[in-house]
Amino acid sequence: MTRAEFDELIHPTTRLSLVALLAATDWADFAFLRDQLELSDSALSKQLSTLENAGYVQIERPLHNHRRRVRARLTEVGTEAFQGHVAALRAIVGRTREAARG
Amino acid sequence: MESHVTPQEASAALNAVERGRLTVIDEIGLPRWYWWGLALGWVALGFVIDLKHAWLTAAATLLFGAVHASVAARATSGRRRTQRLSVRAEVAGGYRTGRLVIACVAALGALTVGLGWAASADGANHPVTIASMFVALTILLGRPQLVAAIRRRAAASTTR
Repeated sequence: MTRAEFDELIHPTTRLSLVALLAATDWADFAFLRDQLELSDSALSKQLSTLENAGYVQIERPLHNHRRRVRARLTEVGTEAFQGHVAALRAIVGRTREAARG
Repeated sequence: MESHVTPQEASAALNAVERGRLTVIDEIGLPRWYWWGLALGWVALGFVIDLKHAWLTAAATLLFGAVHASVAARATSGRRRTQRLSVRAEVAGGYRTGRLVIACVAALGALTVGLGWAASADGANHPVTIASMFVALTILLGRPQLVAAIRRRAAASTTR
């Protein structure tokens, strides 16, 4: 059972969308993330660095067809933080629904 | 900070999370080479069967089955349609996706047999080749529907 824990690092909209994409993948290419989030290279790099420094994301640079690609994957710590954050968000929404029901 | 997040904001954040999952689900698919390989292999197998050499038919069927089995596990998981990402197994549906593809292949086999009999009854000289060409066309034309079905199943599964 995931422990509900609000995560301030993940919560900002862009970062949440980024982590949500990574949470559904084993790894995602830098270009895919940039295109989906409609960010510039530098903006995405900055977001990834923040998450990497927190230990939430791992950046890999594998060789593919003699070209180095950049891809990101969510670490175990990042996955737990994301799941905890989603659980916290659900708890907030759930409490409101319960209150509305009386 | 949690106390400052309104239910509306939390709901909007959950929607963003779900959008992310659906975006990745849109990337589920099977590589193009798998479909072309299956279609061409099907026609080749039909052609060999029409040669009416029992041992050749048996060998070709075994070879087709072995090659398909060896690539199916990797190709039919739905996780690596492109080089842009690898969809998480739980999101892609894992073995359920593979089972759906295998079931389709089995259904196509039955369709080939049925069409082959019909063509044979009609006096065709190469009934199985004709049937397998029709089925190969079905494979190539039907792939978007199968992929859409896989995606629908993935999207309908519980958010993790």
